[in-house]
Amino acid sequence: MEEPLLEIRGLAKRFAKRSGRELTPWIIQDLTFSVSEGEFLTIIGPSGAGKTTLLNILAQIDVASGGEVRFLSQCAPVDDPKALQPGLTCRIGYVTQDDHLLPWRTTLQNVLFPLTVQGRLNAETRTRAEMLIRTVGLGGFENHYPHELSGGMRKRAALIRTLVYNPPVILMDEPFGALDAQTRTQLQEDLLRLWNLGKKTIIFVTHDIAEAIALGDRTLVLSRQPSRVAGQHAITIPRPRDVQGIMHDPEFRALYQRIRAQLQ
Amino acid sequence: MTLRDAAINHDTPVPVRSRQHAVALGRAALGALLLLAWKLSADGAGPLYVADPIKVVQRIVADTLSGTLLRDTYVTLRLSAIGFALGCGLGIALPFLLRRLPRLTAAVEPYIMASVGIPKYALVPLFILWFGIDDAPKLWLVGLLVFYVVFIAVFAGIRSVDRDLIDMARVAGASEAVIAREVIWNSLLPFFFAALKIALPRAVSAAIIGEFLVGNEGLGYLIEHSRQNLDTVGVFAGIVVATALVLAINALLVTVDRRINAWRPTDRHMQI
Amino acid sequence: MTTLGGRSILGHSDLWHRIATSLRVSGDQILVAIALVVIWQVLSMTFGSYWVGSPWGVATRFIAGIGDGTLLHQASYTVIEAAAGFVLGALPAVALPFALRRLPIATAILDPFMVGGYGAPKLALAPLFILWFGIGIESKIVLVSITVFFIVYFSAQAGIGALDVGLVRMAQVMGATERHVARHIVFPGAVPYIFAGLRLAMPYAIGGAIIAELISANRGLGYLIQLSAMNFDTTGIFVALVVTTCIVFIGNWSVNAVERRLLRWRPVSAITLQAGT
Repeated sequence: MEEPLLEIRGLAKRFAKRSGRELTPWIIQDLTFSVSEGEFLTIIGPSGAGKTTLLNILAQIDVASGGEVRFLSQCAPVDDPKALQPGLTCRIGYVTQDDHLLPWRTTLQNVLFPLTVQGRLNAETRTRAEMLIRTVGLGGFENHYPHELSGGMRKRAALIRTLVYNPPVILMDEPFGALDAQTRTQLQEDLLRLWNLGKKTIIFVTHDIAEAIALGDRTLVLSRQPSRVAGQHAITIPRPRDVQGIMHDPEFRALYQRIRAQLQ
Repeated sequence: MTLRDAAINHDTPVPVRSRQHAVALGRAALGALLLLAWKLSADGAGPLYVADPIKVVQRIVADTLSGTLLRDTYVTLRLSAIGFALGCGLGIALPFLLRRLPRLTAAVEPYIMASVGIPKYALVPLFILWFGIDDAPKLWLVGLLVFYVVFIAVFAGIRSVDRDLIDMARVAGASEAVIAREVIWNSLLPFFFAALKIALPRAVSAAIIGEFLVGNEGLGYLIEHSRQNLDTVGVFAGIVVATALVLAINALLVTVDRRINAWRPTDRHMQI
Repeated sequence: MTTLGGRSILGHSDLWHRIATSLRVSGDQILVAIALVVIWQVLSMTFGSYWVGSPWGVATRFIAGIGDGTLLHQASYTVIEAAAGFVLGALPAVALPFALRRLPIATAILDPFMVGGYGAPKLALAPLFILWFGIGIESKIVLVSITVFFIVYFSAQAGIGALDVGLVRMAQVMGATERHVARHIVFPGAVPYIFAGLRLAMPYAIGGAIIAELISANRGLGYLIQLSAMNFDTTGIFVALVVTTCIVFIGNWSVNAVERRLLRWRPVSAITLQAGT
């Protein structure tokens, strides 16, 4: 069996309250799962199940209270705040819920930002950025500032900002949650297309069961707090997926029922 | 909190008590350092340029005992108070008056705003020419400075009053005077107090600077007169007392403000 | 009865109503301007131009002064004092909070001293600076820079404190170093606040220069005002005041223009909110 790209074992997390030495109840406890290279894993769970917290730990911008995370069989330092390496030297990209676009940069400048910071900005990468902008339908808005873009457009810009520097693993935290149904479907299709081209590993968090089934190779269902893996479902619907019409697929309904039952 | 701490959550809270100690210690150390620097520069630069701190203290004590310092302080404060009262009164009354004359307000507003750009201190020689060399020009200066601060705040405050509240009051049969008193005045109190916190210390400052330019008593006169006599100790003494006075007034206002508005949910951003 | 906003519930005539109102307001404003000049002229004829100058006298003297260069010459000294002091005060005021941003204890230690410096009447130090630096422009520059410093310091500090941590996290995940974060996130985010401080400090810069000149100087607009006053030349005073006010306006306009250019990225509501202050 191939070595999994990412292994999470017995992960646990709780926060310290700012005021005193009190600790909050366990948000995540005994969470174990693994992710293979090139897999599209969707994670689904009720609100407050610590999905964002989990991604923060994986992205190394937060510490865990216990357990371990292995990336390519190497233990990542998840319990020592000083040893954290956000983004694991650009090997893990993170598309957060808030787009966090830099307000003082245009769309193009925002997309080029990671390249600037990593010192990889040249004619070739610039062309790639411009192509990505056009792919998600933002062509013509390169010189607009974020406040001039709609919410959906900002989300798209944030998405390609992570894609532009090609991290092998991408974490996505309900990136299409706040969008209208049409834009969402369009972006889901775009995402699948881009994933296909690049063969990345994607961990995609959502609260929408249909989205989880439509996009993923496998779905992880998280329980309520303290979150652990309540179940795993391999999604055998063949690719390429028809995102628009996924509900008509014969396997969809069964999967949907199973997952929904597990979420209760 | 360093940026790293900000970007990464902590599991354990940052120790607070030891930090408070370090800060208090640092402040005391810095204060002592500044005093030491003063003493050294006095020794180094000579008595003409930097007055010896000990001599300054002695002078302040001597002048206080002899009563001249108290007299000068009283003169300055009296000037500030009267000018403040005048400017404040007009600054409150005028917006309320203008409220009843919306057409006139729209017509004169740009000129009032433009006149804010005229540095009021530059008018003092003109005031001296018009009003003589007693308190009058200084009162005009203080009054004008206070007026502008209060006027703009009250004007903006009145403008920001919820229209619906006024309409509702009118429908309920309230007269204009009652509306002015109950609805508008209460709504603009925060603006007014914010303006007071600025205007009061500024009134004292203005009185002192007015005394630089005209008159023969007061803290400002003390400072400028000492300079003309090359009495550096006097200059320093006057500045120390003037600064302490204004800072004390600031501190008093902050305390009063906190007491009065303790029940209000404060908007921190309204502070500067 | 019309309220200040002039509300109308009708459709098309609402636009007409607004155009008409706006025209009427402009008309009123022009009327007020004319009225002010007329009142001035009347006062001048009643009390004599010796006391209040006259519109015509001031206008002609102003044009003559501009023409032969004397007004601009004197104004240049004041402008240099204000500008040099402004820059000398603003640069450290921005640099210091930046340098200390990773040392919160240092900032906390400094805080009461900065608050004290901000609250203390800096203009009261004018005689001291004249004592130290003489009656030339140096004393004025020092006074202006100290005044500007304390104002801009707090604005810069607020700007740095308003840092959006989410942006920092995002940048760090993409591999940004501390320097990247400082340059691309902390600084641009602080610029609007810094400019608010610069706009606040601008009138103090010019006012400070003028006050110091009033006390003791041999050049500049404040000096011109004092000279005219000593010669009982009211017209001269008014002319100098007009020039001073023009400079204040130009200064304000310049800061606003630079700000508008640098802050094109701001959403409109934030700009209009600031314009009101």
